[in-house]
Amino acid sequence: MRSVKLHARLLAAFLLLLGVGSIAYQILVQKVPLTESESDPVWVVDAQVSFQARENTPIKARMYVPPLESGFTALNESFISNNYGVNVNRENGNRVVTWSARRAEGRQNLYYRLMLTSRFAEPASVPEDGPQFRAAPPLEGPERLAADALLAPIRQHSADVETFVSETIKRVNNMESDNVRLLLAGDRSPENRARVVDLLLAVAHIPAEPVHTLELNESRDQQPELWLRTYNGKSWLYFNPLDGRQGLPDDRLVWWSGDKPLLALEGARNADVDFGVHRNEMSALQLAQSLRFQDQSSFIDYSLYELPVPSQQLFRILMMIPVGVLLVLLIRSLVGMETLGTFTPVLIALAFRETEVIWGVLLFTFITAIGLSVRGYLEHLKLQLLARLSIVLTFVVILMALISLVGYKLGLSTGLSVALFPMVILTMVIERISIVWEERGGTQSLKVAIGTLIAAVLCHLLMVWQPLVYFVFTFPGVLLVLAAVMVLMGHYRGYRLAELMRFRAMTDEGGR
Amino acid sequence: MFGIRTWRALRRRGVMGINQRNGDYVLAYNDRRLYPLVDDKIRTKKLALDAGIQVPDMYGIIDTEQGISKLQHIVETHGDFVIKPAQGAGGDGIMVISDRFEGYYRGASGRMISPEELEFHISGIISGIYSLGGHRDRALIEYRVRSTDLFDRISIGGVPDVRIIVLKGYPVAAMLRLPTRQSDGKANLHQGAIGVGVDIATGVTLSGTWHNLKIDRHPDTAHPVAGVQIPDWEACLELAARCYELTGLGYLGVDLVMDKHKGPLMLELNARPGLNIQIANDDGLLRRCRIVEDHLDGLDWKLEPVARRLTLAKREFAVARLPEAPEAP
Repeated sequence: MRSVKLHARLLAAFLLLLGVGSIAYQILVQKVPLTESESDPVWVVDAQVSFQARENTPIKARMYVPPLESGFTALNESFISNNYGVNVNRENGNRVVTWSARRAEGRQNLYYRLMLTSRFAEPASVPEDGPQFRAAPPLEGPERLAADALLAPIRQHSADVETFVSETIKRVNNMESDNVRLLLAGDRSPENRARVVDLLLAVAHIPAEPVHTLELNESRDQQPELWLRTYNGKSWLYFNPLDGRQGLPDDRLVWWSGDKPLLALEGARNADVDFGVHRNEMSALQLAQSLRFQDQSSFIDYSLYELPVPSQQLFRILMMIPVGVLLVLLIRSLVGMETLGTFTPVLIALAFRETEVIWGVLLFTFITAIGLSVRGYLEHLKLQLLARLSIVLTFVVILMALISLVGYKLGLSTGLSVALFPMVILTMVIERISIVWEERGGTQSLKVAIGTLIAAVLCHLLMVWQPLVYFVFTFPGVLLVLAAVMVLMGHYRGYRLAELMRFRAMTDEGGR
Repeated sequence: MFGIRTWRALRRRGVMGINQRNGDYVLAYNDRRLYPLVDDKIRTKKLALDAGIQVPDMYGIIDTEQGISKLQHIVETHGDFVIKPAQGAGGDGIMVISDRFEGYYRGASGRMISPEELEFHISGIISGIYSLGGHRDRALIEYRVRSTDLFDRISIGGVPDVRIIVLKGYPVAAMLRLPTRQSDGKANLHQGAIGVGVDIATGVTLSGTWHNLKIDRHPDTAHPVAGVQIPDWEACLELAARCYELTGLGYLGVDLVMDKHKGPLMLELNARPGLNIQIANDDGLLRRCRIVEDHLDGLDWKLEPVARRLTLAKREFAVARLPEAPEAP
């Protein structure tokens, strides 16, 4: 006996571990949303390119677009342009879209739209290792002197690449310095400052690369912000060349890297690019489903969501049955309430899905009462058991038909359009209650019927509780956890609540 | 909190709960294959007869609808008899005929029963309304036990019986079950009979239980139930203890009746006896079962002869202070 107990405990522990493990894997690794309503921000980034076409010239517009593996999941990318050919290709770690047309007239508008979200995203894949050395550019005369003068204290105040870059940015942004002013040559634009920082780093043989980023924040007319990045041998470091801030914030999207302008035009003029960003909400589940349509892997693969929708609906119900069964098990072995078998309350609870719970309870009570009175009447006729039961069941069906008809005439159709399934279950329940009545008498059958009804209502409420349905359906590992509890309940030896009342006479307080 | 205090108090007294009975006793000691031996009263009876255990005489068996007409023939020579479903549970479906009058039968309570009614009852038994699971069943017609006069003042309308719980052949607890008006002559506690604890050592009755309450007097006759000596107690204990070898079931409820002429007769066996015997004896079954189990641990679970088993039971389960016998009428 003892070894069997140990065996059962091990089995329960194993099931529990397996179940909890699979749930944990789904939550922590696959990032499956915990609740159905969990939603994520979805960023819609629009870039509007407009220009004036030159007459009778072929037009070619090349614009950088963000690399797709930028630390975000791209849900959707679209290029909207009438009469333009669209072509996307890669170029030095950037992606470039080329719109082309033989001829066009007047103002042209091209749109690029990208939808991004951070859920289910792989970490950004940065261009492989960067260079760690570059040749110093040739500098002559006063500029050479100014650069050297600036670099000497920077070198002194820094320990590694990281601190060197920060220090350089700090110095270049100090407009008091004559050397800086000389290098800037009167142009204080961010681009120019970045160029000077880059220049100084180049003189010091530190490679650096400008990157153009966009902030994911509800905004219109946003201009790309310039950042510098450098490779320190292990990873890429990002710096803001204006204030020396280090590290790219999570809400910044790298659009392209390099010195080249965003847009290159041939055969057009007056080009203008407008960025607009706005935020949408989308439930995590929808997100995963829309990812699936793009053949991207998501937690949907190998989950019940892969089934066709009707089967999904079925399994949403089926998966809840063990939950109901466990509840009945607990009601019976912990509370000690009597029910008709273990499965019957769960079946009744399933029937309540179709009749709605209030109608279900009324119908159950009413039809059972009528069925049992018919049974009582037939007892006087001294009919045999099987014949008696058959008559009772026939009358139950007639009664249901009548109720449905009357309900329909009164306009109560929804509640009482009883389907086949609840009919069958109700009939079966009446048969079983009748048998209990025959075997154990009226009081007992009433007790059992009430117990069954209470258990069924509780089961029903639990089984249609949406957050739970979602949870069980999404994390089938829950069923293993339930099985573990059931295994443990099989070795539960404690008193039932009802027994505390029953044996109360044997305690000091209950005894006289 | 009330619940936890009660829980602890019950544990302290060694009270057995249903979960524990099912898991640690019924499931552990009773092999499922052996259940048919006790679920079918006809098989139990044949088994007992072979082993020389006293049972009420069997007059006949009716197992088909056509066979119902045989009833007249079977009971021809007997003025009184009992009809039972062979696989009935909890005393349901038992009909006691105490006399006959002008072609009618007289029930235990004095009600007149027409032959048609009797046949209808047998037909119900055969179609399985009283059997567990509603299977077809057989009707058993047997000797009607005559109650000894000893219990006259504390029972109404039926035959009291003695339930002895036997663990691995050791009687652990005993209870006298007395019919009441509410139980309609039946000796089953859930139908309203009262259970009275019995001292294993002497066979003297203790206080009683009725609907989970402790009581001292019979609800119908108002006579005190305690202090009555059960006749042939030694024989009762021995008979109960031998039922272990008879069936091989380690946890068994043995129901005995005291017949006026034939002494103790084994009526039926129960593989999952109820727990109210604890209230009747005001003692926990678990406590008593543990004593037997510890004793068996010491013996390496070897089977002892009946006499030694009874000695142990009498020594361990004797009640310290027996109630005084009620004054003679």
